[in-house]
Amino acid sequence: MDEIFVTFFNNDFSNNKLKKMIMKKMTPAVMRSFAIAFALFTTTGPAMAQSNPSLTDPEVAHVAVVANQIDIGYADIAIKKSKDGEVVKFAETMKRDHTAVIEQAAALAKKLGVTPKDNAVSQKLLADADKTKKSLNGKSGKAFNKAYIDNEVAYHKAVIGAVEGLLIPETDNAELKQLLQNVVPALKAHLGHAEMVQKNYK
Amino acid sequence: MSRSYFFRSLLLIAVLAIGFISCAPTELDNSEEKGAGVPQQQEYTIEIKQMKFIPAEITVHKGDKITFVNHDLVTHDITDDPGKTWTSSALPADESWSMTVTQSSNYYCTLHPTMKGKISVE
Repeated sequence: MDEIFVTFFNNDFSNNKLKKMIMKKMTPAVMRSFAIAFALFTTTGPAMAQSNPSLTDPEVAHVAVVANQIDIGYADIAIKKSKDGEVVKFAETMKRDHTAVIEQAAALAKKLGVTPKDNAVSQKLLADADKTKKSLNGKSGKAFNKAYIDNEVAYHKAVIGAVEGLLIPETDNAELKQLLQNVVPALKAHLGHAEMVQKNYK
Repeated sequence: MSRSYFFRSLLLIAVLAIGFISCAPTELDNSEEKGAGVPQQQEYTIEIKQMKFIPAEITVHKGDKITFVNHDLVTHDITDDPGKTWTSSALPADESWSMTVTQSSNYYCTLHPTMKGKISVE
């Protein structure tokens, strides 16, 4: 079981009965997705209730870049480890597309004179990604392919939720907001593609 | 026949001859008439935007030209589905690719297989 949602359940649910119930109903991928989304929202949670945004635009830009870098990291592992042509092709697309998004974000940050700023959300994402990478690196063959593609489905669901529900609403600058809005269809296409590949590993 | 009558007749024939020649179809006119029955090549544009082909379905005539323009952030391609008999190869952001339509085709982006389109030839 992925450590990200182990941590989530251990730290944030005190009701054991509820914990067991949810664990029984949810697949590992869904739990992982839920945990990533939860991590994003709880890190910024208190400020969400305030009128002032909890993330500044430089922080939003940093989160966006980190989220893309994380998926590139997962893709690098898949390109290195997988022998399934479809999985490798998907990973290559992830690497190419997320690199393009980072380049766009960097160009926009330069144009706006903004330096992306490290923050708690980025750190939480990176910490969780390290655990997932360790888990992926410990697998091979079909087990690796399944773990990678399950994680891609879960990760894209979580990131789409975070971009639409957190990053876009918290962004003040119109051009940065537009860039985030432009990225959402690509994330959704990635999710659809990942789900197509995932069918081979059901 | 008087000499003046002869010259007047000659002048009339000359005028009629010039009129006939000027009204006769030229080589160019003739070629245009021949081409009138052949449809002109029409040009269409399909935009790639927000991970979609817009319009996703298009009806054209054989010989028409379609230009695909990639307005997305990411690279796409346009490939015959399922035969892969033709492809644009990688089409980076802000670039375009044109094809002359020879037959009806379904097509998709091999990099993002959820993106699909259809060309119908009538």
